[in-house]
Formats: sequence, structure tokens, C-alpha cells
Amino acid sequence: MSNSASQKISFTFNGVAHEGVRGQSIAAALMESGVRELRQTRFGNEPRLIFCGIGVCFDCVVVVNEVANQRACLVEIAPGDQIRSSK
Amino acid sequence: MIAIVGAGPAGLAAAMTAAQGGEEIVVIDSAPRPGGQYWRHLNQVEGYKSGRSEKYFEALRERKNVIHISGAQIWSAVPGENSITLNYLADGIESSITVQKIILATGAHDRAIPFTGWERPGVMTPGAAQALLKGHNVMAGQQILITGTGPFLLPVAVGLAAAGADVVGIVEAHSPLRWLMSPVALALNPQKALELLYYIRKIAKYKLKIRFNQAVVAFDGKSATIAKVSKDLTTKKIVSKVHCDVVAAGWGFSPDVTLGGILGCKQIVDLDGTVIFAVDNHQRSSQPNIWIAGEATGIGGADLALIEGRIAGLSALGLGISLRLRFQRYRLQKFARALQVSYPVGNGWQGWLRSESKVCRCEEVSLGEICSSVTELSANDARTSKLFTRAGMGMCQGRICSRNVSEIIGVQTQCQVTDQERIAYSNRPIAAPISLGALTDGIK
Repeated sequence: MSNSASQKISFTFNGVAHEGVRGQSIAAALMESGVRELRQTRFGNEPRLIFCGIGVCFDCVVVVNEVANQRACLVEIAPGDQIRSSK
Repeated sequence: MIAIVGAGPAGLAAAMTAAQGGEEIVVIDSAPRPGGQYWRHLNQVEGYKSGRSEKYFEALRERKNVIHISGAQIWSAVPGENSITLNYLADGIESSITVQKIILATGAHDRAIPFTGWERPGVMTPGAAQALLKGHNVMAGQQILITGTGPFLLPVAVGLAAAGADVVGIVEAHSPLRWLMSPVALALNPQKALELLYYIRKIAKYKLKIRFNQAVVAFDGKSATIAKVSKDLTTKKIVSKVHCDVVAAGWGFSPDVTLGGILGCKQIVDLDGTVIFAVDNHQRSSQPNIWIAGEATGIGGADLALIEGRIAGLSALGLGISLRLRFQRYRLQKFARALQVSYPVGNGWQGWLRSESKVCRCEEVSLGEICSSVTELSANDARTSKLFTRAGMGMCQGRICSRNVSEIIGVQTQCQVTDQERIAYSNRPIAAPISLGALTDGIK
């Protein structure tokens, strides 16, 4: 809570460097830095962000360190994570 | 050993109660930290009685007979002769635990209803906006519009406003006067009036604009279209457009009944069409040694969940339930019933959609495709339509859309959705996705 604000974590999303706070989900950390698109849909190529925010809808899935279908709203960022959009 | 599935209010109350009886307790929860959707703790957020959780967290941490397995997704459950085995996935490894008794407290998620543009970035559930703030200290957007129905919209709006968000309005589909239909529930629950007063004061303090009998029926990415709606949610007329980058829309809650369904616990359909478990007055399910507490036995909020969790914990210890506890549950159940009466979700939302509007978000299936599966291909229930259109076959396994698809087919075929169909679409044979690799790698 109080001291967690100092624990900055660096990671990349689609090759771009980002920072977040320890304990934050991938989606939260990315939204904090202004990201409004986590992936594009398979058929309509439409942008998607989070929807249910609690791991139910799978709308926010991303590839984390080459592991596919990870829910960005649940998975917490770890130092050095390489995250990319999935289809 | 007693396993408690879920570490929200119901699960934590059950754990604390059962632990006081000296039993070995294991609490299994999918989140990294306890609290469920109701208590999240990266930072404190303003809200009515938000500090109640500490004694439960302490019991979880300090009691020697309580083990907390966090970040564990139970994907299947297998009943044995005098035991139940729960198989779960944690940190990519599949494990299992065998116990004598289980208490299910699996909670609920926001019910979502489609509108034109609901798939755009920025549209989310109120639960998502609240989780971002409470759990991650992140504001969902610059200008947040809250819409849907039910009292949950108030704490979300107030929490966001108190944390500094620009909440551009609360758009509630129903009128508060509908509470007058439930005088007994109100009389039995004077404490709820205090809670309401608290939120009225906060709404005034943060100068939040609240509109009744209106709903967001479309979002174009920059502004939301607000319409006056009738009590079954049919659009009467478009009244305004509000500039915003987030629309948080919530229409009550859908309980998670998957695990109890796998274990064969009897399910029933609640007054408002929600599938819940049938339990007796000890919170016992239809299956031996399985108790169920909280939202999965009827949406009623955290106060009711805490009481039900305590009752389940006492009953699992073989103890009796005092009259006082029974009365507390009774009056909160009355209140829960009044919520259903005051905030119904009719089928008028189907008129908010265009033919090309998506209904199934995962498989990107539109209203038009679902309707043609009825008119062109003679689908007469949600299951048949799903086979034709893939609506409900995506990664969420229909958790978001299946109820809505079913209601659309009901309207198209002019048939009431049957209880059997509601129970069918609420259940799935595997509770969480698991890779074949994790199943076959032999690590256990």
C-alpha cells in the first residue's frame, strides 16, 4: 500500500518500454500509461481493452513472455516482462 | 479437513467461523490476495463500512489451522466415497487436494447487456472500473459515465469520485419509487436506510448528476447516447449525448455456479431468471458435505454473504444455527428479493442494438447473425443458435453473452426461456481453461 508506490517495474508492450507498480495487473499498468488497445479481434480487427476486469470475459488476453491467452486484468506485471498483443 | 472455495466475504466468514471450531481449513481462491471482488486492498477507497475486512484477513493470516492457497484456479472437482477432490492450476502447475467437506463461496460478476458500441475500448463493467481503482490504483479514464441499474452503481460512482475521477453522471434505468413496492423489506432493514443516506450525502458532496429512468443505449468512442427508457428498458426517446471516454455499465450480477454444477448440486432459477443453488436453512446443498454461501445462492450483497458464510461454517462444524442468525439472513433475503423487484432487467435492450451490433464479444457474433439463425436456419433455442453462429463458444465460454443470446432467441421465437435452458447455459463441464500440457506433464 504505502511503500508499494516506490516499487517501479519496467516491462515492454509490443516492443515499447513501460513502467508500472508492483502488484498492478498488466492491464492496469498499461491503462495508467494511456494505452487504450490491448489487442485486435481476429475477425473484425477491432481494438479491445478490458471489459469485465476480473478475469471472466477473456477480452483482454495478451501474450506474456510468449505464453498466449493470459488475462491482462489478472496477471501482475513482473520485471522485464515482454508482453504483446494477441489475435 | 474443510475446503472453502473463494475468499470473498462469504468464504472468509465461513473460514473464520469454521476455524474457531478447531477444524483444519484450506481456503482456495483464484486471486493473488484475499477479499474477493468486494474487498480489494492496494489502496483504501471511500465507501460505506469499507473497513470491515481486517478481522477476516487476520484470521486467514494468523490462525494456525487455516491454509490460504491463492492464485489457484479450480478447473474440476471429483466426488469420492467420503471425500471430494479439487483439481486446481496455480503458477502453471496442476495440483489437487482431497477434503471431507467443502463450502462453495464462488461469488458473482457483473451482468453485462449489449448496446451499440459496447465492444469499443472504454466500455466496461462498473466492477472493472472499481477493480482498477481499488485493486490497482488506476483510474479507468478521464470522464467516466456510470450506467445500468441497481444500488451497486452508487458505491462505484462515489469511490471513483472520491479518488478524484471526473464522474460525468450516473444513469439509472429505474425509478427509486419502485422501492415502495417492497415496504416489508424496507421495514425489516432500517440499517439500509443509513447506507442510502451515506451515499446521498456523498453524491451531494461530489456533485454527481444522477438521472433516473434513463440508460446509455450507444457509445461512439467519444460520447454516450442516453435515452429515456420504459420499465422493460424499451427506448422511449433519445434525450442527450454525454462526452466521456469510459462507460461503466452494469445490470445486476451473475453468480458463478460452475463448480457446484460439476459436483451435481441442485440448481434453481431465481425470480429474475438468475440460476442459483438450492440450499436449506443450514446452507447445505443437495449433495452431502457440500455447503454453499453468498451470491451463488441468490444475489444479495456482502451483508447477506457474511451471514450465509457464518451459517455454512457453523453447519459444517455440526453446530446449530441460532434464531438470531436465521433472522438476520431472513431479513437480508427479503431485501435481496426487493432488489429484484426494484431493478428488473427486461428485454427492451434488444431494441438498442443495430443488426451489426456484436452480441457475443469473443466470437464477434452480431444480433443479425443470431436472428438469422432463427429465421433462416430454424434455431429455436440458444444451444442450436450457438452451433450455427458460434455465439458463446469463445474463450469466456458464454459467461458474458449466453444469457443475452438466450433472451434474444426467446423474443425471436416468441417463447419464454425455460428453466432447463437457463440451467444449461449457466453450466460448463470444465470450470477454468487448462492446457493439455499442464494436465499431462506429470507434475502434481
